[in-house]
Amino acid sequence: MEKVQTSRSFTVPIGPQHPALKEPEHFLITVDGEIVTKAVVRLGYAHRGVEKATESRNWVQNIYILERICGICSHIHATAYCLGVEKLAGVEVPPRAQAIRVLVAEMERIHSHLLWLGVAAHEAGFDTLFMYSWRDRETIMDLLESLSGNRVNYSVNLLGGVKFDVDDELARLIYDGIDFLEKRTQHYLDVVTSDAMFLQRTRGIGTMTRSQADVLGTVGPTARASNVYRDIRVEAPYGAYGDFPVKIVLDERGDLEARFVVRIKELFESYRVIREILDNLPAGELSTRMPRRIQEGETVSRVEAPRGELFYFIKSNGTDTPERIKVRTPTICNMMSVVKLAVGHQLADVPMIVVGIDPCFSCNDRMTVVDRGQGQRQGWTWEALRRYGIRHYQRLAR
Amino acid sequence: MNTDEALTIARQVVEGWAWKTETSQPEPYRLDVRLASKEDLIPIIVAFRVKRMGYLAAITGLDLGPEDGHLEVLYHFCTAAAVITLRLSIPREQASVPSLCSVIPSAEAFERELSEMFGVEVEGLPNPMRLYLPDDWSEGVYPLRKDVDEMALTSQVVMGEI
Repeated sequence: MEKVQTSRSFTVPIGPQHPALKEPEHFLITVDGEIVTKAVVRLGYAHRGVEKATESRNWVQNIYILERICGICSHIHATAYCLGVEKLAGVEVPPRAQAIRVLVAEMERIHSHLLWLGVAAHEAGFDTLFMYSWRDRETIMDLLESLSGNRVNYSVNLLGGVKFDVDDELARLIYDGIDFLEKRTQHYLDVVTSDAMFLQRTRGIGTMTRSQADVLGTVGPTARASNVYRDIRVEAPYGAYGDFPVKIVLDERGDLEARFVVRIKELFESYRVIREILDNLPAGELSTRMPRRIQEGETVSRVEAPRGELFYFIKSNGTDTPERIKVRTPTICNMMSVVKLAVGHQLADVPMIVVGIDPCFSCNDRMTVVDRGQGQRQGWTWEALRRYGIRHYQRLAR
Repeated sequence: MNTDEALTIARQVVEGWAWKTETSQPEPYRLDVRLASKEDLIPIIVAFRVKRMGYLAAITGLDLGPEDGHLEVLYHFCTAAAVITLRLSIPREQASVPSLCSVIPSAEAFERELSEMFGVEVEGLPNPMRLYLPDDWSEGVYPLRKDVDEMALTSQVVMGEI
């Protein structure tokens, strides 16, 4: 635990866990009065040893285990893995399968960004926006269910292709859903850039300059909101992104508002790409044959998950099980920016700064405020911190 | 900077250490640089930074097994589609590598993971606390090493032995 320099500073441990959490974190935040002077993060409360587990399972079983790393971006994990293994095996995947992979990846991005919009609005005390965005998110969840039979863990990927096809009827449903969502998204963009109460929580808060974002190694929308040109879909197109290019969305401001704007504008890009894929879906097979043993070799597979670059390193030793699979998720890159950004901000801003990176984060539900000067302990929950932040800004507004 | 420029610049940088490195291009967009000595790691990375070459995307640990007696540490730098990998081979016993934190602060999380999962001492790490493993995890048990059996590890964790 961080040593306290003056009798006025407090160390505030936030987290780590709640039974419902999928990615719990523990933040140790030192405050001097209202101002954060140091933040430390501790991870691993949900470390399940997936990398180790892949070494004793065969190439096919690993699709299913890797897909379950994250419930929000499950498809992109399986895609990164399948693309890597196919590269090692030297197998060419049919264009229709690649297009369907990208289609599902973009649908996943929509559901992830809408989910985040709701969570972030909730942390800001804007529960109306939270409920509307989650209601609209159901549209895309229903479409994913129509496509694959599952709301999450769609299990679309196979080694060598995909399992599900998109027929005309499903395509029409997707077109309709996208049209509806596009209208709603325009409304959300207007709200987050014009609502005065909301802007008070986002404009000029948690600002990260371009060089900070670069040095801290941030990825995804968090980096792009600080004008860092970093999007794997654009820089190193994989799957069908070569045929259906994506335009990169950048913002120069680097604050929380910019992170809202970048993610919402990315939704429009996703809608456009989905329409383009459905208009020009290549004909042909859905999958091709894969060998059971993968020839010896190493490869790197990088894809753009909703939260940023997802990095897979895959090594095969020529058998039916991998020698090593290294997974580097985007949140770990962005998490380090939180502990740097929080310094100098008010404790009331911490929930929004944490949520701003979209940290695969639902609720750090237990928190303790330790008063080092008096040696007394006081229990706080994440909910209490959230309410504290909202009340703080309500007082300011009066 | 595009992919080809990045690969060219990386080649030029590494040429300064040509007699102590072995460079290969396993895939068109990848450059694999095997370093003979870990002392060269920081200078090469400083040279990368000076050239504004990419960012540290990941640090991968590889255990070649007890028979081989070596671990490999891979530092992946990415620019556009280019992936430049600096590859360091170190003995399994008393494994250690220098910390990159003085040059690249974001390396901290990757190095702490490497350290606890593979038992590699990272010299000069500002905060060597555990990042992923529990606080009461046994000293000297490095789960991603090849001689640690997954099933045995699972049952030991369940029984509270680790």
